[in-house]
Amino acid sequence: MLTIEALKAYGADVDDGLTRCMNNQAFYLKLIGKALEDPNFKKLEDSIAAKDFDSAFEAAHSLKGVLGNLALTPIYKPVFDITELLRARTEMDYAPFLKEISDKKAELVALGD
Amino acid sequence: MNNYSDAFAGGKRNILVADDEYINREMLENILSEEYDVLKAEDGEMAYEMIKQNRNTLSLILLDLMMPKMSGLDLLALLSEEPDLKSIPVIVLTSDQDSEVTSLKKGAYDFIPKPYPQPDVIKARISRSIELAEDRQIISATERDELTGLYTIEYFYRYVNQFDKYYPNADRDAICFDVNHFHVLNERFGMEKGDEILKRIAGRLEEVFSDTGSFICRKSADTFLVYCAHREDYSSIVDQISEIGEDLHTAVKIRAGVYSSCDKKLDIHLRFDRAKIAADKIRNKYSVSVSNFDEALIDAELFAEQLVDEFPKALAEKQFMVYFQPKFDIRGDKPVLSSAEALVRWSHPTLGMISPGKFVPLFEENGLIAKLDEYVWRRAAEKIADWKERLGISVPVSVNLSRAEMYDPELVDTMEQIVSDNGISTGDLYLEITESAYVSDSDSIVNRVKMLREHGFFIEMDDFGSGYSSLNMISELPLDALKLDMMFIRTAFEKQNDTRMISIVIDIADYLGVPVIAEGVETEEQYLALKKLGCAIIQGYYFSKPVPASDFDRFLLEKKGS
Repeated sequence: MLTIEALKAYGADVDDGLTRCMNNQAFYLKLIGKALEDPNFKKLEDSIAAKDFDSAFEAAHSLKGVLGNLALTPIYKPVFDITELLRARTEMDYAPFLKEISDKKAELVALGD
Repeated sequence: MNNYSDAFAGGKRNILVADDEYINREMLENILSEEYDVLKAEDGEMAYEMIKQNRNTLSLILLDLMMPKMSGLDLLALLSEEPDLKSIPVIVLTSDQDSEVTSLKKGAYDFIPKPYPQPDVIKARISRSIELAEDRQIISATERDELTGLYTIEYFYRYVNQFDKYYPNADRDAICFDVNHFHVLNERFGMEKGDEILKRIAGRLEEVFSDTGSFICRKSADTFLVYCAHREDYSSIVDQISEIGEDLHTAVKIRAGVYSSCDKKLDIHLRFDRAKIAADKIRNKYSVSVSNFDEALIDAELFAEQLVDEFPKALAEKQFMVYFQPKFDIRGDKPVLSSAEALVRWSHPTLGMISPGKFVPLFEENGLIAKLDEYVWRRAAEKIADWKERLGISVPVSVNLSRAEMYDPELVDTMEQIVSDNGISTGDLYLEITESAYVSDSDSIVNRVKMLREHGFFIEMDDFGSGYSSLNMISELPLDALKLDMMFIRTAFEKQNDTRMISIVIDIADYLGVPVIAEGVETEEQYLALKKLGCAIIQGYYFSKPVPASDFDRFLLEKKGS
């Protein structure tokens, strides 16, 4: 089960996230669970694979907002970076970013197991 | 319009959170739900629908910019086009600094960055925006006319004054637009249609005067004021506005009073008073739609006002003089004095002699005529009594009754009182009642005339030939003489001595068994022609102009001597 302590160990800025949730821990943890189900993770991967950078930017931008609000710093950072690159529609190899995001997400999911 | 008091209907104000991310919506709801009722929309279209549905109760919108179906910026643009939606304040949720500026320019009140700041910061920004919007709404509720959305008169004057301060040398016109006989439209088509017409006029005025520096307001019912850059001609503008009635199957006739290149030294109210004076000048002239103010109008208006103001004093000080013009019976070999008409003059202490043409119509309009006429009746009755007593001669005097007096239920009593106060008989006082009074509301007036006649008063139908009475009706009217309209005589003798119409009138009088009186007779030629045609009595400058009572003695002495 996901806990506040585990999130702290993961590197999340738990105090920041909890403040936005009016210090309601259960609510915070519930929202994190929901974030992991966000379809934008898949949309981001698929859009990059299809070289649809507009769609990829939308997905990254949305994720950035959500992960930032939840203060999940380790996964927020690569999402933030990829969002800025996609905003400029930079043609490059996004695979390392996607892998980083995927790894950090997997870590987060593992915290809850 | 988002109504200020409705916002509290449920105890808490309503806020809409429009964001496609579930987590963001939930997080904001969690922060705000203690103080607000939170509605949530997942995309732009859904947000738009919910805003429309809750337009009267929504206090604020929190708007994400990047949303499916309709972006936040597109939604902002849509809201700004609808007057009752654009007053709802919007706070934009964004993580991009570029978007912050764009959204503020598009009408957003404020922005909240992502990741969100401290909940207290969010709440403070929201409450500040709501406060601002509600304040603004209270102002705009009094600033705008509810029906048309135009400025109310107070704000209109305020904005015009502000404009003048910044552009003191701008050449401006003050215009007053009115709908001719708007109350008739209201009565014919109902208030709702009337309101529709007013709204259309307002809309058209906004189109026509869309340039910056033009100000428009609805002053009252159907009166609109415009302050704008000087234009040479307003007739095409009036035509354009009048077009709004085309599909309503009625003519909406607009008239404009223009105070052109107005004097900025005059108070703004006075400038629009002048426009209104110009507009009123053409109130009943259907062929003229634009009237320009000129100084002569203000002189006429001031003069009229002075006369009305001074009336009570003039009456008390006997400034009104009663003159007498003799009427002669011309049926015999020699003209014989038969009666006189009492006519009023105003001998004003500073303005000199004022002709009745200047004050009688004015007093008829405001009702003062009743007091003036009664004064004249009394002076005439006194004179009749005086002549009897002093000269031992009895000559009837005719006095004028205005239309309004014919509706006075006390009229017969008043007349009888005057007669008995002076010890004369009802047969001594002739009453001249204008033909148009008979026609306008025949039943009640005819009944009143019948009563007067039953009491012994002699009735002369005045201005006959100007009032279009039907021949059918005439035979039933109570009258003792027909008095030909003066214009009748004038035109008859101007146009190749065409006296055929006069001869018809004389035939009618013969048929009714009453004499014809011709007034305005000025020449011997006219006198002889009328005598030949069989006219009974003549009044006019040919015999004598109206003279003061003291000068009238000579006619009486002449008659007595003959």
